[in-house]
Amino acid sequence: MPLFWLLLACFILAPCACFLLLAVSPRLFGQGGQWFTLTYLHQALTGATAVAIVNSLWVSSAAAVMGVAIGFPIAWLVARTTLPGRRFLPGAMWLVLLLPSWLPALGWERIVQPDGVMYRLGLDWPWVTHAIMGPFGVVLLLGLRCVPFSYLAITAALAGLGQEFEDAARVHGASRVAALRLIIPILAPAIWSALAIGFAESISDFGVAATLAYNSNFSLATYQLYAAIGNFPPSFPLAAGMGWLLVAAVAIPLALQARALRGRSYAVLSGRTRLAVRRQLRGWSQAGATAGVGLFFVVALGVPGFGAVSASLLADYGGSFKLTLANYHALFAQTNLAAAAGGGLLSPIERSLGYGAVTATITVIGGFIAARMLARRRTRATGALDFLLLASVALPGVVFGAGYIFAYNLPIMSRLGINLYQTVTLLIIAYTAASLPTNARVLVGAVSQLQPSLKDAARAHGAGAVIAWARGVLPVVSRPIVMAWLFTFCGVFLELPLSQLLYAPGSPPTSIAIEDNLSNYHFGVGMAQAVLAVAICLTAVGVVLGGYRLLAPAGWRRIGSAIGGGRG
Amino acid sequence: MADPITIENLGKTYPGGNQALRDVSLEVEPGTFLVLLGPSGSGKTTLLRCLAGIERVSSGRIAIGKRTVADGRIHVPPDQRDLSMVFQDYALWPHLSARDNVAFALRRRHLSRSECRTRAQEMLDRVGLAALASRYPNELSGGEQQRVALARALIADTGLILCDEPLSNLDADLRERMRVEISALVREAAATTVYITHDQAEAFALADQVGVLERGRLVQAGPPEEIYTRPATPFVARFTGLAGEFGVRVRERDGDGTVLVEPPHGHRFRARASAGPLAGPDALVMIRPTGVRLCADGSADVHLSGRVTDVAFRGRGYEHAIDIDGSTRLTGVFAEARTARGEMVGLRLDPAGCHLFPAGS
Repeated sequence: MPLFWLLLACFILAPCACFLLLAVSPRLFGQGGQWFTLTYLHQALTGATAVAIVNSLWVSSAAAVMGVAIGFPIAWLVARTTLPGRRFLPGAMWLVLLLPSWLPALGWERIVQPDGVMYRLGLDWPWVTHAIMGPFGVVLLLGLRCVPFSYLAITAALAGLGQEFEDAARVHGASRVAALRLIIPILAPAIWSALAIGFAESISDFGVAATLAYNSNFSLATYQLYAAIGNFPPSFPLAAGMGWLLVAAVAIPLALQARALRGRSYAVLSGRTRLAVRRQLRGWSQAGATAGVGLFFVVALGVPGFGAVSASLLADYGGSFKLTLANYHALFAQTNLAAAAGGGLLSPIERSLGYGAVTATITVIGGFIAARMLARRRTRATGALDFLLLASVALPGVVFGAGYIFAYNLPIMSRLGINLYQTVTLLIIAYTAASLPTNARVLVGAVSQLQPSLKDAARAHGAGAVIAWARGVLPVVSRPIVMAWLFTFCGVFLELPLSQLLYAPGSPPTSIAIEDNLSNYHFGVGMAQAVLAVAICLTAVGVVLGGYRLLAPAGWRRIGSAIGGGRG
Repeated sequence: MADPITIENLGKTYPGGNQALRDVSLEVEPGTFLVLLGPSGSGKTTLLRCLAGIERVSSGRIAIGKRTVADGRIHVPPDQRDLSMVFQDYALWPHLSARDNVAFALRRRHLSRSECRTRAQEMLDRVGLAALASRYPNELSGGEQQRVALARALIADTGLILCDEPLSNLDADLRERMRVEISALVREAAATTVYITHDQAEAFALADQVGVLERGRLVQAGPPEEIYTRPATPFVARFTGLAGEFGVRVRERDGDGTVLVEPPHGHRFRARASAGPLAGPDALVMIRPTGVRLCADGSADVHLSGRVTDVAFRGRGYEHAIDIDGSTRLTGVFAEARTARGEMVGLRLDPAGCHLFPAGS
């Protein structure tokens, strides 16, 4: 356990703490003359950075509200009505959640950009370009990304909201509308959570900030922080000042939400909760609901998917809509372009596959250890771990990456013989450290179901330690572990902010290779890479889940589906 | 003002074809405490929910007072039936305090907000929760939540109160105390009450009238004494408590409604004949725990002999399990004195507690 704590301190706490401390005490790290100053915080609140912060705040607020406004009705329709195709919606929502925000942003961009798919199809609609390539488009894309969070939070709350609350209102004199008004506040915690998570996710998002927003000259805080480090000369103290503002912007709504709900349990699950009756949708109500839900998926997945696929089938130059497989040929052939990309256009994808698999495996092991510690009796140590992991979940990826650059670039690291900066090792460590908190939170639910008696019973009935673990523990956690592995694998495979800041020169991962191709106007090849990457990701999900379904004993799947049903 | 209830040929079939109620007819006098008794799946909850208006009936008619609230064409929504209900898991709205939960039921009375709060406070006082009025449901114990639910059902002075197994989530001690409180409070309110349970002891303790349901049919309705002493079917007899049952040969019928029967291993005794005719010489006798007494083996008037296989102390005496000729077991045989396991004992049977039904029923 001390080793585990040491690793957490070195790879999560220290880099971020050093980076944030830098904003107020640059001399501590040899970055200036002052031991204590608020200058950089002040600088972060003035000029272009202030504009970026204000933009981020309002855009994130709007996106969070949009997420709830769309996610709530979809969750309600899925849980409480006979909406056609409702069984497929949870899977489709997971797909929206799984795709990093930069991919749909690129898909939309490739459609509406002046030489994009829309114009090549002969649709000369500059007003669409103007709307998408600006604040409206940014809010739209961030808002669509918030929908799955709202959907998941509200679905979970609706599952526990039995029919009795509505029935009780009706028999005690409330009309249908009054009963609905009465029970909606019961969902308030879920709505507040959805708003807080949506806001936090949006304000810490880097994918849209670095693509659509940047290309639209709409400055957001995360990109400004990246620019403060990436531009010459880099200003780490200013980036750290912005880091403080971002952390505060994420932490404040989460803290307010926790405070608002403190001591007020809205727990409504009981063992005998009567399942809610599904409202039969017919005629116009069915058509309207289906069209509304369909529209969401068209905008969230269909349009960017069409944009990405069609752009990958178009030549980079020329104005016609003539489809070609040349970009895919280029991916698989050793061309000049491929050589320029450093050993072939498929190399980044192969590299990311390796990074994803290694990181997911390490992270699941670490996450399981952390989850076991969290699930045990609460002590100061587990309380500290809980706080550290929660804080890390809320930490924007770009702050995390900046912390790594700063901490592992410090002269003391060289003196200690730790030369990790600009190495694949540091990138994988950063991926792992960034994924571990989420993994631990995902696994803690399943691990808390593990009664010591499960293992003890196996031991008491003659099983050795390994067999006891395999028979008594593994079946209970197998499915959540598989889901956590997949979640991490896909996340790392398509990860952008840490990759952008920390990739080893000459070894770009997938997201960086795609970005490079696009910024060099190789749109077709870039989008072909993106399409291939998503296809590989989905294939991996299918293969792993299919393999689990085929190979795991039936009993494991039953237990796993009951326990790991939440986020797993 | 309490309402009578009329239920005529009621049927309810759920989507998917599950026939939950079949041809149920029942009259409930105003102010009656009716308990619907039956095992899981017998249709008692469905009947209650049809009365509440939460479920639509498939056929038949329900009238509350003189007003038809449900039939093939009419479905009066729950909020317009002027009734109240105590739910199995109480269904207290978690975001409202105990006082606001109770006051909600007064909305239909169109009183001012302050009047509602005052009355809710008074009602909580009546159920002993005045000091906890500001607490939220999750801050109350199970028994306290149950009282809030009861207060919510009583406050609006509706003519009909429905109770859906309200004691099933409570432990044994609290259950008994709450049973007494429910009985006292709803009778004080003088409303017609329909209460469902699967616990026959609870049903007999509370009811003016008991209705026994089996697979969607009402198989017997009447005062608890009648249900116990004259069960209409073997199902009713079994469900309302038996010491045991075994086959007998019919020897002689009397004009007083009793029949002389002979068990395979024992002496002849008299049993009460059921309403239907006994076909053939064979019959089934069902014995209530109150219909069998323990006596010394070999006594002159012993009807059966057996060996004690188990004995349980019940405070006021002992309940024994007796094995008769290795094939029949009688349980709950009461005696003030303990008889050790393995001892042979004699059993004397009382005709009032022995009910005879056709063989194979």
